[in-house]
Amino acid sequence: MDRRTFLAGIGAAGVLSLPASAAWAQLKKPVVGLVMKSLANEFFKNMQEGALRHVEERGDCTLIPLGIQSETDIDGQIALVENLITRKVDAIVIAPADSRALISPLVRAAKAGIKLVNIDVLLDANALKKHHVEIVFVGPDNKEGAKMSADVLAKALGAGGKVVILEGNPGAANGVQRKEGFMESIAQYKLDLLDSRTAHWETEEANTVFSNMLTAHPDIQGVMAGNDDMAIGVVKAIEAAGKKGQIKVIGFDGIAAIQPLIKNGEVLATVDQFGAQLAADGIDAAMKEIGGQTLTGWVKTPMKLETAATI
Amino acid sequence: MSSSSSATVRRILREAGIGLALLAMIVFFAAAAPDFSTHENISNILTQITINLILATGMTFAILIGGIDLSVGAVMALCAVVAGRLLTLDGMSEPLAVALGVAGSLAVGMGCGAANGWISSFWGIPSFIVTLGMLNIARGGALQVTNARTIYDFPDSFNAFGTATVLGVPVMFVIALVLLGLGWLVLTRTVFGRMIYAIGNNEEAVRLSGHRPLLTKVLAFTVTGLFVGIAAIVYMARLTIANPILGVGFELNAIAAVIIGGTSLSGGRGSLIGTLLGAAIIGVLANGLILMGVSDFIRQIVTGVVIILAVVLDSYRARLARG
Repeated sequence: MDRRTFLAGIGAAGVLSLPASAAWAQLKKPVVGLVMKSLANEFFKNMQEGALRHVEERGDCTLIPLGIQSETDIDGQIALVENLITRKVDAIVIAPADSRALISPLVRAAKAGIKLVNIDVLLDANALKKHHVEIVFVGPDNKEGAKMSADVLAKALGAGGKVVILEGNPGAANGVQRKEGFMESIAQYKLDLLDSRTAHWETEEANTVFSNMLTAHPDIQGVMAGNDDMAIGVVKAIEAAGKKGQIKVIGFDGIAAIQPLIKNGEVLATVDQFGAQLAADGIDAAMKEIGGQTLTGWVKTPMKLETAATI
Repeated sequence: MSSSSSATVRRILREAGIGLALLAMIVFFAAAAPDFSTHENISNILTQITINLILATGMTFAILIGGIDLSVGAVMALCAVVAGRLLTLDGMSEPLAVALGVAGSLAVGMGCGAANGWISSFWGIPSFIVTLGMLNIARGGALQVTNARTIYDFPDSFNAFGTATVLGVPVMFVIALVLLGLGWLVLTRTVFGRMIYAIGNNEEAVRLSGHRPLLTKVLAFTVTGLFVGIAAIVYMARLTIANPILGVGFELNAIAAVIIGGTSLSGGRGSLIGTLLGAAIIGVLANGLILMGVSDFIRQIVTGVVIILAVVLDSYRARLARG
């Protein structure tokens, strides 16, 4: 019965189609659960595809990729972790939907002997310490990346340049870190911050909010957008206001739709975090842990500044 | 005759009340925020309310007939990505691609609307539940069609349409206004329109008088869907992208505009003039508060207060009217 359940679990991961002998070899491979946020998000969709490619290349583990319905479906993500504990996977690689709420199911997983790797958004260090659990973090430095992108704008404008910020969802860890990066750049290059507002990562909302900011502050020279979707909305608002070329924009994420805008100069820079690579690095870390190594601290993953010169 | 004319007076009074509230808001912001009453800002506000106005016009049909459509935001995303696929097909002339894209968007919108109307009235299921289901179907469908990627690179002539103006007024807003006018004519001057009010007021009475509400209900929801398809085209032309996660929560803004505009959530009472005023109130509020430098969080609280205030005032007026 136990083995049948196990086989069913493996089957769900899509390996039963292999010939019988290969399937037996497969059974001995460690199983890694990859828990992401919303697969409706291009970033996580890329991550999932990159992870599947990577596991196929490695060939020494089986991957169960899982995602939730929406970015804020914290309950749903907790249920996914609990499912993986029940299925007795060897390791869980997780991009937490919330940096605190996921800690108690992860502590349970750690107690069940499952190796853990935290990717994308950092889990709350103090809360982990309270439970005496240490989880390695594999991910980009959102703050540093945002600063890289913002520095391009700051250098183009020079000291005293008047800028506004479009923030992500209030309270979202990556949104907060990106704003911190923007603020650091503003302080270093002595820019003048006129206003900072959320557009909830959304193109249409960014378009509306930025048009209104521009009315209130017609002298805006630069815009720092927390993601590329919002940067696109800003660019369209600038065009509509007849100020094309007069206001400089930077974004974050490096999605495909931003590339033509960077090429034609409407967006100065964005930062690619290599979502596909991120999960692959997480899986590598998990396999090292399964192999007996103990990883701690922050394994920083590469980011790339994209400008007209690099595309 | 006299009862119908007193009903007209009451309706005009209700709309005048909402209009006064809008006017008061405009006067307040004009005094509090120096940039509010500039020509550029008025033009901005008109652009900003256009999508919600189109969605709310369609939503008015669903609410007047005693239903609701929670799927409009998600269906809008599905319309947009289908249109986006058609617009970016290889080897097609620009006009043909644009025509196909627009037709695709309208067809998807009307199809989803007709399905909403038919399923809810044929089986007597509350449209609240059916459209909640449709919300998930359409959102999932939009993600499936695009594999969660953003579609871009539309023809230039299509994108140019999004920012075009006529005498300083955004073309998209003019279109929305014309559509609203047509909707108003349909609701007030046609048998179909009067039937919508009758069903919203008392579906059982309509049934007993020998009419079958099914077709009217299906058509009303199809109209809602048609407007969703139009809104999707406006969105794409304005922002030059189609993204499967666009429009999240747009249904709530559309419902808010309809309700602030004095249309009764239980159906049968209200008008598109009210909806126009309701959409304007939401747009002016969002714009004016940002110009005043009010923080995001306070802005959200104020919007919530205004929605509740509008409904409270409406129930107060209804009580007064009953004496």
